[in-house]
Amino acid sequence: MTYMPVIQTRDLTKSYGCVAAVRALNLSVGPNRITAFLGQNGAGKSTTIKMLLGMIRPSCGEGTVLGKLITNAKENREMRRTVAYVAENKPLYGYMTVEQTIRFASSFYSDWRTDVARRLLNEYKLPPQRKVASLSKGMRTKLALLLAFARRPELLILDEPSEGLDPVGIEHLLQTLVAESAEGVAIFFSSHQIAEVERVADHVCILDKGCLMVDASLDQLRQCYRRIDLVFPFPPDEREFRITGVERVRTKGHQMSVFASGNAEAVVERARDLDAISVEVAPVGLRDIFLETVKEN
Amino acid sequence: MLWYKAWLETRSRFLTSLATLTIFCAVFVHHAQGLLRPEWTTDFNRLLFVTQQFVVIMWILAVVLLGMGGIVREKALGTSSLTLSLPVSRAHLLGIRIGMGVLETITLGVVPWATIFLVSSLGRMPILITQVEFYVLLLVGGGSVYFAMSILVSSLVEGEYTAPAVAFGLALLAAMLFDAWLRPYNVWRLVTGDYYVDRKTHLLSGHFPWFGTLAFMCAAGLMFLVSIKVIQRREF
Amino acid sequence: MFFKLTPTTGQPLYLQLMQQIRHATETGALQDGNQLPGIRTLAEELVVSPNTVAKAYSELEHDGVLELRQGSGAFVCVKRRTRSLADHVQVARRRLRDLIEGLREEGLLDEEIKRAFEAELLYPAEIVRKR
Repeated sequence: MTYMPVIQTRDLTKSYGCVAAVRALNLSVGPNRITAFLGQNGAGKSTTIKMLLGMIRPSCGEGTVLGKLITNAKENREMRRTVAYVAENKPLYGYMTVEQTIRFASSFYSDWRTDVARRLLNEYKLPPQRKVASLSKGMRTKLALLLAFARRPELLILDEPSEGLDPVGIEHLLQTLVAESAEGVAIFFSSHQIAEVERVADHVCILDKGCLMVDASLDQLRQCYRRIDLVFPFPPDEREFRITGVERVRTKGHQMSVFASGNAEAVVERARDLDAISVEVAPVGLRDIFLETVKEN
Repeated sequence: MLWYKAWLETRSRFLTSLATLTIFCAVFVHHAQGLLRPEWTTDFNRLLFVTQQFVVIMWILAVVLLGMGGIVREKALGTSSLTLSLPVSRAHLLGIRIGMGVLETITLGVVPWATIFLVSSLGRMPILITQVEFYVLLLVGGGSVYFAMSILVSSLVEGEYTAPAVAFGLALLAAMLFDAWLRPYNVWRLVTGDYYVDRKTHLLSGHFPWFGTLAFMCAAGLMFLVSIKVIQRREF
Repeated sequence: MFFKLTPTTGQPLYLQLMQQIRHATETGALQDGNQLPGIRTLAEELVVSPNTVAKAYSELEHDGVLELRQGSGAFVCVKRRTRSLADHVQVARRRLRDLIEGLREEGLLDEEIKRAFEAELLYPAEIVRKR
């Protein structure tokens, strides 16, 4: 099977005046995967997504989605036929009823599945004749997601999909994502819910202040990132631990905590050579990887 | 289903304006003509001319409001991400909004005058269909610039109240400036029939000013094109 | 089948799933010829990426624990060899039980024992051999 990235960018940049919202982004999102896009508020996630969908023009650099150039209006429009997108604020037309909204959305896409739409309408318990403006936030979120899930796109882009959902809703959302992925839909979603990302994502991209800091599979992260807690008979010298893979070293008296993105064995060896009293290697969860990555900057 | 969306968005504005205009025309003409005898043709023609002055003001108000909305306004409301992610071009989106608006503005010109024709005919007043056609064509043809200007303003200005305020302000400003320096080319005087009314018979006389009306319609068309370009370049 | 995958333990999820399936075959919860749920079904049930399940199944097929039949699904094929492996595990667990009892008697808390085990397990094998 030839690997063609569903999303690929080359030095994608967006500046507002002298502030760069997105800096020379080189993203490559693979097909048949669930890729999570993490970053603090204002890190540039939504800006990136909007550039991909032609709502914002890049300052420089280029990108393709499903092989189509994002900066070419015609190609971008063609690409949008097979890409489903749900924006962060779950946009819906307040003056339409639930049923009108579904009929409206379905008229644009040949990949619309009426049976799925009907099933989700029942599952989400959405009142068909109610105007969208009078729906609760949770129901609006579900309807916005329904418009994407009732389709069978090649790529699903979701910006903070679980916002506005209760735990049951979130569980259902994740199950739907997993089901879509099993059907061959590539999924690219941004989220602040690290616990959810850890469960379902295959690949993670961490964006901080417009730069891509981490771009790896979750399996790789789990196998390589380690926290090594050391106790020495004397206050240790941090400079001894400037080894490849070490991201951050913190010392407090005789204790030292090393955060490494790989090469933990070398850290342990160095600690042993320096007569460490206690060496404890622990795994690092995605939350800590994320926090350490954005703090470092 | 973009026509349907455009209809849902303008429906209440359109129907309210249509009802107001039609009821006003019916009541005003019916009441006023009740004070006239059918032989008093000059007075009756003057009544029609006066009615057109009122119709023009209300019609312009209505079409400027009808031109409001669009993707720029949707950005403020938060729905532009949905509209712009649809697999349709921005030109197409605006084109349909313009198309729906044009149909509505034409209806807003034709229906009230058709009502006047009906009311006057029932009242056995000397109403001429040619005069009605004259008034309607002046209004809808020449007045198309007002709708076009509204569309252009709504593509540039985001605020819910700022946009119509700017549009009305421009309409007023244009009327005043043209009257001061370019009196023969003032669209206001065209749509009200001021250029063509015979001061003695109060009939709109002479040939229909096709050239003038078409010129204004071209100006409207130009404004539509500029609006499309503006929307295409804008970032959301 | 009840599998529980923990995303935060530093071990890839597909490895955890592989271990749990293997464990199930050793304890007899899964018997020779039993059918495992399809990739999509299991992924939805566990709420994990289908790639995780697919990789686990594929690796287990490579190790001879599962047989993937096109269209029908994944079937357990426990060979005689793995049954003796189950005995090894039984013995190991008895030894562990004694060790843990001993550590508890020395005053260690269960949490401390657990962390010590985790830390030792994460110790790369090469370092241990060098010592």
